Amino acid sequence: MRIRAERDDLADVLARAARAVGTRSPQQILQGLLCDVRGNRLEVTGTDSDVTIRTTLEVEVLEAGRTVVPAKLAAEAVRKLPVGAVTLSAEEGEVEITGNGPRFRLREFVVNDFPDIPDTIEAPLVEVDGEAFVAALAQVGVAASGDDARPTLTGILFEAHDDGLRLVATDSYRLALRDLPGIAAGETSLVPYRALREIGRTIADAKLGVQLDDRQAAFSSARGRMTARVIEATFPNYRQLLPDEYPNRLSVSKAALLDAVGRAALVAEEHIPVRLSLSESGVELSVTRQEVGEETEHIEAAYSGEEMTIAFNTRYLTDGVGAVAGDEVVLETIDPLKPGMLSGGSDGFQYLLMPVRL
Amino acid sequence: MFGMEDRAPSDGTAASILHADLDAFYVSVERLKRPDLVGKPVAVGGGVIVSASYEARAYGVNAPMGIRQARELCPRLIVVGGSFEDYIELSDRVFEICRTYTPFIEQISIDEAFLDVAGAGHLFGPAPTIAASIRADVQAETGLPISIGIARTKFLAKVASQAAKPDGLLVVDPAHELEFLHPLPVRAIWGVGVKTAELLKEMGIDTVAELAAAKPGWLESRLGPAAGAHLHDLAWNRDRRHVERHRGAGSVGAQRAFGGDVKDRAKHRAILMAIADRVGSRLRKKQRAGRTITARVRFNDLQSVTRSTTLRAPVASTEALYRVADHLVETALAEASEGRGLSLLGISVSKLVHSPHLQLELPLLDRRTVRADVEDVWRSGSAAALARDRLDEAIDELRSKFGKSAVAAASALGSGRSLVPDQFGDLAIPVAERRTE
Repeated sequence: MRIRAERDDLADVLARAARAVGTRSPQQILQGLLCDVRGNRLEVTGTDSDVTIRTTLEVEVLEAGRTVVPAKLAAEAVRKLPVGAVTLSAEEGEVEITGNGPRFRLREFVVNDFPDIPDTIEAPLVEVDGEAFVAALAQVGVAASGDDARPTLTGILFEAHDDGLRLVATDSYRLALRDLPGIAAGETSLVPYRALREIGRTIADAKLGVQLDDRQAAFSSARGRMTARVIEATFPNYRQLLPDEYPNRLSVSKAALLDAVGRAALVAEEHIPVRLSLSESGVELSVTRQEVGEETEHIEAAYSGEEMTIAFNTRYLTDGVGAVAGDEVVLETIDPLKPGMLSGGSDGFQYLLMPVRL
Repeated sequence: MFGMEDRAPSDGTAASILHADLDAFYVSVERLKRPDLVGKPVAVGGGVIVSASYEARAYGVNAPMGIRQARELCPRLIVVGGSFEDYIELSDRVFEICRTYTPFIEQISIDEAFLDVAGAGHLFGPAPTIAASIRADVQAETGLPISIGIARTKFLAKVASQAAKPDGLLVVDPAHELEFLHPLPVRAIWGVGVKTAELLKEMGIDTVAELAAAKPGWLESRLGPAAGAHLHDLAWNRDRRHVERHRGAGSVGAQRAFGGDVKDRAKHRAILMAIADRVGSRLRKKQRAGRTITARVRFNDLQSVTRSTTLRAPVASTEALYRVADHLVETALAEASEGRGLSLLGISVSKLVHSPHLQLELPLLDRRTVRADVEDVWRSGSAAALARDRLDEAIDELRSKFGKSAVAAASALGSGRSLVPDQFGDLAIPVAERRTE
């Protein structure tokens, strides 16, 4: 195998595919990138066996063939070469990367060890606006759990709602939900957020194809394709968590609230909550940490309902407020021990957050 | 704390392990409260002696000895009941003082702990200086006498502290370890009890030197392979155990021994509830909550087993501790042969976090699952959990106003009296046995 390409283009396809490569894979071959050269194209595949990313690039093909290169090292090596054309070749167990002087000779991985990843899905392909879809995933993803001991909560639920697609995630302390009307929902699936999070940085483009079946989720664009094994578990029945109505409603400037919570977080530690005292004059934020000090401030806001004080974890609150689109944030509450709901009005985003008991 | 090693820094070449042991701890505490007891033969206990003053020991009074027998030996013996809350509080204060010198502290019971000060030299000076400072601080801040032994190994540090008593400090120079150790009687070895000592005597071994000189194979054939090799190693001061700090610092536990052999599950539950109450209120007092719950069960044949589970979220509620512990005891009983009675139950909580505020959880659980009942115990935020928390708070408050015995769970009230007062059972728990997982 032997190709020539512009440094920046080659570094880009290698680096994007390498994002699927895990840092701690028990199998050495999964630390590699499969480079497959056919016709006038180079196809690069990285996988950790659950998530697979494939990128393609039109290159000058000197000799077709396949090789597996050490993922991070090859991607970095290409990136660090002088600007201009780069040659990548593999022969007799050795990978050579050269361009304008420097020459890397790296040990080639055993090509035949690279797993054969099935990436065809029979499900119909739904085309979505890539940018909006990635933004929606990020909005919902803040509530996904990173705790592998609870795999069900590490995914985003894709399901049909009305005549659109609904995305839901929860880590049991908060729940984020986003409705995307007009997007046909495929099969109900639970897709690892660990994979979805990478779409924006790897294959996102103006148009994105989405396919879901009961085993895999696939996302494809002109820049490449990602497939992810879905989480085979039943997502909690989240609908029963959503309160029917809230007697109290605060409407406040998103920027003002974010800034204020950011200041409060300086004083708070992870486990110390920020208190929100809600009244007709607006919201008073306060945080007190023993042996450190306190911070208080008042933000003018529109409030209807009973005067009350409710406390939230600063990070969870920041995540929710930050995910709301628009300039105004609405916080609806029931009482200090029941979940509060953050939303931004009309974009179909809802963020349900359990308070901290004082 | 995160990212720091649990293993102590000592490399085993310098004398940097301290064994700190409070002298006649319960008696010393009682004397703080009643100075008139100073200099007199005093014992703390209920039906049996739990601790005796050195004056009483001179008459042959020792724990665990029946009160009647003790009085026969020493008619002037003054027996006082226990001030359990004070013991716990003073013990905590003493080892907090130790902790200001080194984070590597392994508390092995209410009144003794190992410290590794190998990494503390640049701050506080050499080990003997640190030990002297600790003794002075403890005396000044609590009024309690504490003896400290310093050596290259945990084993020898413990031997040294016993030799240093009362109210002393003894350093075993690494160059002269065997000169110190070998003349001692075998009973000086940690782990050699009355029975082993008798057996060794039959074998013609009275001193550590004789034990050291014995052929390991012969010792193993008489004492069992593990014990034989272990004692022979100790006789040569070969002890590779490190000071493991996570044990004492990171757990709160209590246990209760009850005479004879109890098979009735309802009684087990009543006792567990009382223990959970004790552990829960101690956790809440310290503003701690823990994720790992360990239940300890001792069968009537003295075999002990522990079962533990790590929860997703930390708990400190009495009821949650009780329900999880009961589930664990159930598991232990199911794995044991049918119909065995119990003689001890214990609960300890580790993986502790500071938790003055409780992040509530969404009720995600699927009620249809079998484990929903058990799972829901630790979901903070359910109506039931909030009610339990309020109950705990109310009880804690009542007790702080009216004393410990002001309230108790009805089921725990009738759990029966045993020869050893229940609270001593808690105090006697060797922290080293409160192991997690």
